[in-house]
Amino acid sequence: MKFDLNQYLSLISFLIIPLVIFWNPSWLSLMGHQAYWPIFWLLPWALIHGPFKSMLLGFLLGFILDSFNADMYTQIPGLMICGFWFGKIESSNKFNNNPIHFGLTAGIGSLICGVIYFCQIVLKLFLGNSPLWVFSYGIQNIFSQVFLTSLLAPVFCKWLYLFFIKEYKLKM
Amino acid sequence: MVKFRRLSNSRWWNNRKYWTIILIFSILLIVRFSKTFIFRDVYYFITKPFWPGEYQQEILRKSANQELNIKLSQLERDNLRLRQLLDLQNFSEANKLNSSVISRNTGSWWKKIILNKGSQNGVSTGDAVIGPGGLIGIVENTSMLTSSVQLLTAPSSKVGVWNQRANLHGLLIGVGTKTPKLFFYSKDVDIKVGDYILSSPASTILPPNIPIGIIQSIDNESKPNTVATVQLTAQPEAIDWVQIFRMRF
Repeated sequence: MKFDLNQYLSLISFLIIPLVIFWNPSWLSLMGHQAYWPIFWLLPWALIHGPFKSMLLGFLLGFILDSFNADMYTQIPGLMICGFWFGKIESSNKFNNNPIHFGLTAGIGSLICGVIYFCQIVLKLFLGNSPLWVFSYGIQNIFSQVFLTSLLAPVFCKWLYLFFIKEYKLKM
Repeated sequence: MVKFRRLSNSRWWNNRKYWTIILIFSILLIVRFSKTFIFRDVYYFITKPFWPGEYQQEILRKSANQELNIKLSQLERDNLRLRQLLDLQNFSEANKLNSSVISRNTGSWWKKIILNKGSQNGVSTGDAVIGPGGLIGIVENTSMLTSSVQLLTAPSSKVGVWNQRANLHGLLIGVGTKTPKLFFYSKDVDIKVGDYILSSPASTILPPNIPIGIIQSIDNESKPNTVATVQLTAQPEAIDWVQIFRMRF
């Protein structure tokens, strides 16, 4: 039986996300800040597979990414909300596959994930009566992340979207 | 009546001899009042090709370095001996492990680096990681081949430090930026901008007296404790090689 790489593109690209996070290419960063890489994978996948499957994949993605960081904060809620929302906008026919839509949607998704993550940090500091010195850095980090994600999404999301469509058609 | 008109070349300023005398006299005056700077400058240019060259300078620098290294190793030995006498924690060269940075995540929520040495090499959670300049973080977890280091700049990083000049202990708290905050346990503390911050000699977690940073600014308005901003001496975003201090008790 012939192995068709196209059928496993989503799985292969899914496995590449952690490697890209580890790699953290400095030439794709802004003042040391990185784009939110999971969004680049989740957005095109959700556009094809709908809200519920994408929410589940958001959970899985968050679960894997949380395992890299041995802290008590989680990326699962943000990625689940994004997965659901990305799938929903496609199913309600509000999404045109143009670069601006990819950029804006990925940027908003990155903002949601960043804010949820930051709220967890602030809440922990607040409950622990620790000073909120991290506040200004958090805001800066979120905005840098949103900017970079929006900027790179038209390239990466569109590219992955074309791959996933091809794979989806093969499986159908 | 005949008028005699003086010839122009008969005036003194048209006489070359006088000008020569004035010139010589002026030179003598300059030499006298300049304290021989001209001679010294002339001497400078004449002797320049014969000065001790870069090679000799290098030899001197090497000798000075050797002398400092000997003094340093002597002091380290003394320190180790005294710490043994006081029954404090000891760190020898055998506990140091060189490692290279294989992943760097210094600009997001997770201020971490990943090193190419893991539990297989004896690295364990809590080991101190030191780069050129000083302490950069503490090993957070290890796999068989790699170890993840939480940097001092991470929002969840808290390290006990010491100001040697004022003999003060404090807590260095990461805030995400490159300049962590130093939290002193009392309000009136004798610290100054430019003071060095070291790891505490009484620490059971970190090796003693490792440079950490320099106090950049002091917030005297903060209540009830004094808070200072610290500029770290080691820059993790530019470091490729580090040393892991394996904690052996």
